[in-house]
Amino acid sequence: MQADDLARALAPKLGGNFLGAEPFAGTAGRVRFGRDGALDLFRTVRDDLGFAHLSMVGAIDWVDHREVFYVVWSDGAKQYALLSTDLPAADPHVESASAVWPSANWHEREAWELVGIEFDHHPDLRHLLTPDGYAFHPLLRSFRLHEPENLEVKSRHV
Amino acid sequence: MTGAEGLPSPPKVAAAPTELPVVHEPPVPFVEIETLRVKEFIPAAKEALGDLIAEQGQTKLIRPMFNWAGRNSLFPLHWGLACCAIEFAAGFGARWDAERFGVVPRSSPRQADLLIVNGTVTWKVAHKLITLYEQMPEPKWVIAMGNCATGGGPFRTAYSVVPGVDKLVPVDVYIAGCPPRPEAMLAGILRLEELIRERKE
Repeated sequence: MQADDLARALAPKLGGNFLGAEPFAGTAGRVRFGRDGALDLFRTVRDDLGFAHLSMVGAIDWVDHREVFYVVWSDGAKQYALLSTDLPAADPHVESASAVWPSANWHEREAWELVGIEFDHHPDLRHLLTPDGYAFHPLLRSFRLHEPENLEVKSRHV
Repeated sequence: MTGAEGLPSPPKVAAAPTELPVVHEPPVPFVEIETLRVKEFIPAAKEALGDLIAEQGQTKLIRPMFNWAGRNSLFPLHWGLACCAIEFAAGFGARWDAERFGVVPRSSPRQADLLIVNGTVTWKVAHKLITLYEQMPEPKWVIAMGNCATGGGPFRTAYSVVPGVDKLVPVDVYIAGCPPRPEAMLAGILRLEELIRERKE
């Protein structure tokens, strides 16, 4: 399966939310889509194209916008495919893929807490790696490493 | 007492008894033997022990006994966090054999009195560490093993790492190293035993 095949299959289904498919090394191709057509894209890719396995969900902070990408795998074609969408940094939300691929659940929790992507209709959007109530998104470019605050030392020998 | 030739006569030796002397004492009647049942013995023993403590003082009798027993049976919690846990495990293997100091890892905090924090403590796991520490019975001690547990180590400025486990629980002994060798862990345990020996209250 090539990028052209992806484009032929997806363009009629998505309409204006299909932004192109380009070759990407090691995969069938990289599909760029608008976030409004996310759920249609996921269903088409899984049911019509046979990409039944969601390998990972990742997110990148490009400072002016944020990118969410999905790596899917087809057992029939023995190929990966990349699906990516750009979100505005001011309002980074996209439909959750958990309804289509349940394995997206924890990946989206991680992308939410580290990069600050809001996933709509996620079944269980809780902190995964950071403690509950953690107020920062530490993988954003604007987050700076810092020397820890002077916390009180507990000791019974002083 | 002179004899016929002016020499002192030899002292008279009593004849060897032909049978053992028998002291004829009346037998103790059974009713007068002091038998105590357990529920009577415990208050009596408490009273006797209380007198002993009042006489000897707690600092001279009871506390050294508890310290001796405690420092020779330190039971650390079997809780591995990071690469220091590998050295921790090696310390209980055949080559270093920490068990000869009475140090036996226990799998439950209820049975442990020593918490060896061997590895990086993240904020996510911090409240679990505090829970484990609070589940351990008193008296209890904490050893911060390695640079991460001591002060955050190479991850000190990271967003997710506690900069030293002494921000969470009181630490008695710090062991430097990244990771410390099992000898260093044993030295830390022996240093803790010195602390327990000097323990007053």
